[in-house]
Amino acid sequence: MVQSRLARYARISGSLLLAMAGLAGSASLASAEDVIRFGAPLPITGPLAPEAVKQQMGYNLWAEEANKAGGINVGGKKYKVEIVYADYQSNTPRSVQTTEQMITQDNINFMFGPFGSGAAKAASTISEKYKMPTIAASASSSQVYDQGYKYLFGTFTPNDTLTTPLTQIIKAKAPEVKKVAILARNDLFPLAIAQEMEKSAKANGIEVTYFEKYAINTLDHSATLSQIKSLAPQWIFITGYTNDLLLIRKQMVDQQMKAAVVTMIAGPAYQDFIEAAGQSAENISSASWWHPAEQYDGKDIFGKTSNFVKLFKAKYNSDPDYGQASAAVSGALFQLAIEKAGSLDRDKVRDALASMDVMTFWGPVKFGTNGQINSLEPPVFQIQNQKPVVLFPDAIKQGEFKLGVN
Amino acid sequence: MLAVQVLINALVLGCLYACIAIGFSLVWGVLNVINLIHGSFIVLGAYLAWGAYQWAGISPWYALVVAAPVFFVLGYLLQRLLLNRVITAPVLVTLTLTFGLDLILNNAMIYYFKADYRKLTLNPPTGSISLFDVVVPVDRLIATASALALTGLLYLLLRRSKVGRAIVAVRLDRDAAVLMGVDVKSIYAIAFGLGAALAGCAGVLMALIFPISPLTSSAYLGKAFVVCVLGGLGSVSGALAGGLLLALVEGIGSTLIGPAHATTLSFVLLIVFLVVRPQGLLGRKGFE
Repeated sequence: MVQSRLARYARISGSLLLAMAGLAGSASLASAEDVIRFGAPLPITGPLAPEAVKQQMGYNLWAEEANKAGGINVGGKKYKVEIVYADYQSNTPRSVQTTEQMITQDNINFMFGPFGSGAAKAASTISEKYKMPTIAASASSSQVYDQGYKYLFGTFTPNDTLTTPLTQIIKAKAPEVKKVAILARNDLFPLAIAQEMEKSAKANGIEVTYFEKYAINTLDHSATLSQIKSLAPQWIFITGYTNDLLLIRKQMVDQQMKAAVVTMIAGPAYQDFIEAAGQSAENISSASWWHPAEQYDGKDIFGKTSNFVKLFKAKYNSDPDYGQASAAVSGALFQLAIEKAGSLDRDKVRDALASMDVMTFWGPVKFGTNGQINSLEPPVFQIQNQKPVVLFPDAIKQGEFKLGVN
Repeated sequence: MLAVQVLINALVLGCLYACIAIGFSLVWGVLNVINLIHGSFIVLGAYLAWGAYQWAGISPWYALVVAAPVFFVLGYLLQRLLLNRVITAPVLVTLTLTFGLDLILNNAMIYYFKADYRKLTLNPPTGSISLFDVVVPVDRLIATASALALTGLLYLLLRRSKVGRAIVAVRLDRDAAVLMGVDVKSIYAIAFGLGAALAGCAGVLMALIFPISPLTSSAYLGKAFVVCVLGGLGSVSGALAGGLLLALVEGIGSTLIGPAHATTLSFVLLIVFLVVRPQGLLGRKGFE
């Protein structure tokens, strides 16, 4: 009895859903004439959900600004921007299916890559197959771009552009640093950047006394940290995401670990890390691809970096981080490329992206032959008095590097 | 000295693991329900402690006193109104129901608290005690002592009180307990309520130690599951033994073969136990 009633409800609600989907479909078809649809597969649910929210903030801000200005100018006609989101539930194989579904069924014109290097690489095979110009807003690892693909572009420079300037600053400012201990989250980006750090350290004559990976979802690092403490390195370099780095930092304080230099990537680039870590974040150094203190005068829709920061603050009431800025600039770059191509033809827009050489609020943008940006100079910064202070590049330097993390 | 430090770390962590697992073990052992909402209860308890401290300046120690009855009522009602309806159905039905409830609670927390990571930082910080180069964080020590106290209270409750004896009786033989006049449905609800109260208290204590986010619930649930299999179901001492064994294996494994393989090692141990000693270290045969 109950089962048959349930089955009836399921049938009724199922047909209602279908009817609603049909209505929605016809509504979007009606306005498809003067709209450009950008597909954005994102991990909206699951462990990577916070990252998806950040990306969405960037895309939405760009779409809002572009539409406020009347839309994208394609050969004299203005087109509105529509971002089509799809959730791949933090599941990389599903990001590939979602990408294919967006291209074949959702009639999107252009794509943003899914989150992170791993998913962006997996999904790029699909967008390449359909010759769909794609900008990956959060993929830095060179393995994403060494596949010889023509339609994939990325806004993050290779990982070594973060670790090399950092090592050089520390070598210059703290000559007593002779030993570094590296602890990396066993995940594509955190591990790749730790490996680059190992190379940078060796190239600069710093001994790597410890190099280990920790598993994703590790709940306790006390044994690992005790071991690192017993090796007495002057530099401790740890990679991971906000959760990992907060936990590790807390346990470092618990174990009374001190070092001349402590570097963490990528947590300190995010405001929630700085707030949650509080006093224990003091003097932690880091590097990322962008910083709100940068001062570029862009030719994109956002113009000056300060204008982008102002718009972002007005909409979200918080400072943008590099992930949000990268998502916004990805949209702005598509806009520049489409306007330059004067057409929605995928190949023409792809060629416009490939030949792009323009200044943006994100910095100078020029893509290498592999599609990865090669014109940026990513900033190195340090948390001082609960605020990120830029140490490099010199043009936007805000303060001096401070030694000692207690 | 490193060996002593690793050992001490493991002992403290073992007690925390036991604290995470004990409510889960009670519910699994007595009701034969694999309570997938347990991890989210812990996170909710952590938010309670965080919120109380952040907004009202109430110390987590007082929050502990509030958390226990609040979560007990929550668990009691959940069992009375929902789980009791399907308690006699095959285990997959209760598993699916708690899975669904977990999705609802977890996503509600993501909606209200956002998925950002928070940290409960006591002011002034509790610091660490160091003795001959061996360092023990005070907050972990206090959490360990509280975990042991909670475990002891539960032990006393099960051994000495009338309700406790009824819970044990239902666990041993449901049908016989019914014949002896035990109101099984109410005992189930009390046991689930106790499980929830222990999860809530564990959450308050964990808030001092781990970052707080709805996304950490699966990590807590995973640990609780392993601890129960290792230690044995339904018994108070089993959860403690399981927690200590897991922490020791992780700590020593991480030092000897690297932190990336510590989790692998603990799951290998889990499989070995499932094959060789399915009732766990201290569990009785028939309750695996």
